[in-house]
Amino acid sequence: MKQPKILFFVIIALLPLVLVSCSLLGGAPVSGGWAGTALHDGIIYVGTRDGRVVAINASTQSEQWDYTITPVTTIYTTPVVDGDLVYVGTYSGKVLALNTTARSQNLSFPQKRYGEWEWDCPKENLKSNAIVADMAMSEDALYVASSNGRVYSLDKGTGDENWNGKDIPVLAEKLWTSPVIQGDALYVSTLGGNISALSLETGHLLDWSFKSQAGFASRPVTYGNTILLGSFDRYLQAIEIGSDVPVWKFPQEKPAGNWFWASPVVKEGVVYAGCLDGKLYAIEAETGEKLWEFDAGSPIISSPILMDNLLIIIGELGTLYVFDVDTEFEEEAVPLRAISIGASVKSSFCAQDGLVYVRGEDDSIYVADIERGEIVEGWPVSLTTEK
Amino acid sequence: MEAWNLIIGNPVLNVLIALSHGLGGSFGLAIIALTIIVRLITWPLNKRQLNSTKALQEMQPKIQELQKKYGKNQQKLQQEMMKLYKEAGVNPLGCLWPMLVQFPIWIALYQAIMRALATTPENLLDLAQRLYSWGIVNQAIPLSSQFLGLDLGQTASANGGLGMLLAIIVGGTMWVQQKMTQAPAVDPRQESTSRMMTLMMPVMFGLLTFSFAAGLGLYWATSNIIGIITQYFITGGWGNLKFQSPFQRASAKGK
Repeated sequence: MKQPKILFFVIIALLPLVLVSCSLLGGAPVSGGWAGTALHDGIIYVGTRDGRVVAINASTQSEQWDYTITPVTTIYTTPVVDGDLVYVGTYSGKVLALNTTARSQNLSFPQKRYGEWEWDCPKENLKSNAIVADMAMSEDALYVASSNGRVYSLDKGTGDENWNGKDIPVLAEKLWTSPVIQGDALYVSTLGGNISALSLETGHLLDWSFKSQAGFASRPVTYGNTILLGSFDRYLQAIEIGSDVPVWKFPQEKPAGNWFWASPVVKEGVVYAGCLDGKLYAIEAETGEKLWEFDAGSPIISSPILMDNLLIIIGELGTLYVFDVDTEFEEEAVPLRAISIGASVKSSFCAQDGLVYVRGEDDSIYVADIERGEIVEGWPVSLTTEK
Repeated sequence: MEAWNLIIGNPVLNVLIALSHGLGGSFGLAIIALTIIVRLITWPLNKRQLNSTKALQEMQPKIQELQKKYGKNQQKLQQEMMKLYKEAGVNPLGCLWPMLVQFPIWIALYQAIMRALATTPENLLDLAQRLYSWGIVNQAIPLSSQFLGLDLGQTASANGGLGMLLAIIVGGTMWVQQKMTQAPAVDPRQESTSRMMTLMMPVMFGLLTFSFAAGLGLYWATSNIIGIITQYFITGGWGNLKFQSPFQRASAKGK
């Protein structure tokens, strides 16, 4: 009987094909990291995919220092800089305070005399303690949202936890969106659709919380007493603190073409929100009515930024658009500039003195000159280890 | 790749998420429901396979006769057996088709499970580009990966004891199903091949369950259990899965 043998060997031969197909056709977990750029005193700070924190002098394009986090991990958080200390959270659940002087001298980490420290986020059961969300910073504390569902307050000088560990509430299955500070409270949105308010002092839950019908895709942004954020049902919501119903939802009729993943920015009563449907929307902050829109042609993953009267957005395919927000547009906005970066962009970016600093998905830093409408000569600077 | 996602990958993903929303947010129940749907869709193929198996089992006395007659001439034996299969309208490789049809479904389901659970930020962002604009789908995000103490997005090995139990259930149910469909061996060589098949496949799937997301293991276990039930009712019993005493085996051999 040859048939059973044939059958057996055909199946055995096809199984590896299934395994290879599973990995080739996608779906496997990917965690590459998309840390954005932070600019402080002329130095660009950025985390890389291979777990390094790199400091680059913006005027000379020279690397100031480069620190490799061990064990190797990916970095999603944009570095937070305060004086000589650079704070960065990692996918392996650590927060590091790196001193620029100590790192320039390539001393072993942590140099306590330079104020360096490392904090390990508690791990519970099988749950990940990865730090994905950008950290919020107050005068003397860092607020860290973890994938274990809790928020921690760390002393900026020592890395010690400010809140009593037993009192820290579990807010969600995992927290991937950054908390925002407003007055004495810390507002945290969850993928499950809750907004919780925590006391900055103790970490205790405050009286007000909000429950949405859909989960929240973006981090909360405050505008006066209102929280703005995007939800998975493809709306941008404006929620007044203390209220249990949204003030408005945008779009007012049918949902947008995709999620509002990037957090919006607000200026003079107008909300500027980028959407994964590739459109930038200008919305009346009080009423939620659309003022104008612009089609960027690819999903807007990075949050827009404002530089004086200039609004800057970048589409995923790597085109940077600049708008003058003082211009009154009709239905469709017309950008002042459109600059092709030449690389895909998912990270947050920063700008100063007419220059925009962008980290591309090719692990390079690009600098766009808004006035000249082009990428500055000499850039990009590669962040890869091979360099 | 885009065609694959358009035709198979994204529909399976969206149906799975919609089912999860409809079943109270339970992703595990959604996988079970999808398994039943897949089984219903592939029912015509499965029915053919089961009927084929039944016919093969009933043909065994005739095959034994042919073996006695042409035992020394393998070529002639093969020819006569093929003739016999043709007359009975049975394709001995027919049972391969339901298995082949299931391969793309396994791939799509594996991708759907990993994409729907969005275990990393990149996967969550990627999910945005794959979801239909159905309200039911968008409101279901994010999905909880917990089901009966298992994390369906993690490998069975990462799920500890429960993951081990899942791998045993997948292997065990596959072994039972194989035993039920197996035609009785007519010579020692065929018996050893059959024994190897019935042992290797469950072991292999048990090991695969360990290295893939537990959600896929749940699909395999459910699919096997449904297979056992339908097999029982179609072929009218446990097939070759009989618990014989050593005496019965000896007397059977003596005959």
